[in-house]
Amino acid sequence: MSRPGPATQLVRHVGAYAIFFGDCVVSSARYGLRWARLIDEARRLGVGSFVVLATMAVFVGTNLAIQGHASFSALGAQSLVGMFVALGGVREVCPLLAATMVAAKAGTEMTAQLAVMRSKEQIDALEVMAVDPRAELVSPSVLAIMLILPALTIISIAISIVAAALVAVFQLGLESGEFMFFVMDNISIWDLVAAIVKSLCFGAIIATVSGYFGFHSERGPAGVGRATNQAVVTMCVLCISVNFFLSASFYG
Amino acid sequence: MADSEPIIRFQGLRKSFGDRVVLDGVDLDIPRGETTVVLGPSGTGKSVLIKLLVGLLDADEGSILVDGTDVTTAGHTELFALRKRIGMLFQDGALFDSMSVGENIAFPLRRHTSLSDAEIAEQVALRLRQVGLPGTEDMAPSSLSGGMRKRVSLARAVVLEPEILLFDEPNSGLDPITSDEIDALIAEMKEELGITFIVISHDIVGAFAIADKIAMLYKGAVVAEGRPDVILNSPEPIVRRFLARNMKLPDLPEDA
Repeated sequence: MSRPGPATQLVRHVGAYAIFFGDCVVSSARYGLRWARLIDEARRLGVGSFVVLATMAVFVGTNLAIQGHASFSALGAQSLVGMFVALGGVREVCPLLAATMVAAKAGTEMTAQLAVMRSKEQIDALEVMAVDPRAELVSPSVLAIMLILPALTIISIAISIVAAALVAVFQLGLESGEFMFFVMDNISIWDLVAAIVKSLCFGAIIATVSGYFGFHSERGPAGVGRATNQAVVTMCVLCISVNFFLSASFYG
Repeated sequence: MADSEPIIRFQGLRKSFGDRVVLDGVDLDIPRGETTVVLGPSGTGKSVLIKLLVGLLDADEGSILVDGTDVTTAGHTELFALRKRIGMLFQDGALFDSMSVGENIAFPLRRHTSLSDAEIAEQVALRLRQVGLPGTEDMAPSSLSGGMRKRVSLARAVVLEPEILLFDEPNSGLDPITSDEIDALIAEMKEELGITFIVISHDIVGAFAIADKIAMLYKGAVVAEGRPDVILNSPEPIVRRFLARNMKLPDLPEDA
């Protein structure tokens, strides 16, 4: 049998993904949510991602300040560095940064874990025990990711602004009061709401895509690798493109 | 026993994957309270047969009646109710890596009963004794040998007291001695539980050691079935070939 073409495969994936997502919702409604698992996953993800994310956020902040300074000082508008940091960080970089971190950590882990469980017939074993594997394994992780990602986004925003302020004041020699004034003046509550909405969308994409590819992976080590690979590529492309549509509808 | 209603009836069962026909019209009755071994060379759809029985795969055609309920048309609720009556031992055990041995066995009880922790611990200890691994509750599945994994998996499969127990290649990947031990354990459990066993196997010697009934599957269809002595004397050429290779029996003439 010849392998179906890429277009056919894409349509199949989209269809199967929609069905999978619907099944997850239905089975969680039917069997209830595994709260213990959700809380456990959320804690593990939050604690486990914090240090790496904080480190990344520090350097995002520093670089926004440096680039803002390099661009605006030529125009004599150094005061705009604060604005650049605020808008770039809050609206664009930090939500994507936190999403990347969660995709790399929680997304790949979820895909690989499900794929190994599929490979070793553990998902089948759950089914035969009359336990729905979607409600048992997938839904708690999906919700944990959706819950934690907005929190991580807000944390990374705070850290990046502090790092940017330190660089602006101590390296670039800007006035600290003026810098913070321009930061705060340019971030409205709606920017934070928009960042949270973005991260909820990214969380949903990361979690369901990881779950989908892991759950439907082919058996064996090659299957696990392929599933993880497909999941990462798909969620990156989806997050970046969805980010465009969200930014366009919020700010366009 | 022989004249009571069969607990499971496979009727005209067909299943293909793409162009590859795996089951091509299987008709088979599984007698209640007995051990039926489904025998056949690898790739003849033995595992597919039991995956269809528990609804892990969907049949293309035909029906599977379990006490009158058709698995192939059962809805979600019906299927889950049915699965609670079935225990299954997977080829490599399918134990959950993230849980200890004890938690693995406790898992079905936690999901489907309201037993207290103490009662669950008691059940787990009892089942581990039953499969000859007392006191191994805290071990990790990854630290178990192949034979031990199958024993733990068996303990987990019987913990909800199923009416039907399925074994998917219980001897696969085991050395001959461990393999014999597992066969002995299956016979022992059969004695103790008195429920219906279906064993999928390509191991002829083991099959004759435990079977009340043998069904020989070849190229997607049942080519012979009956008591072990009937199979042993079957004139069916495929059966003769399969037996001769494994048991060094004299071949009957081809035209028999």
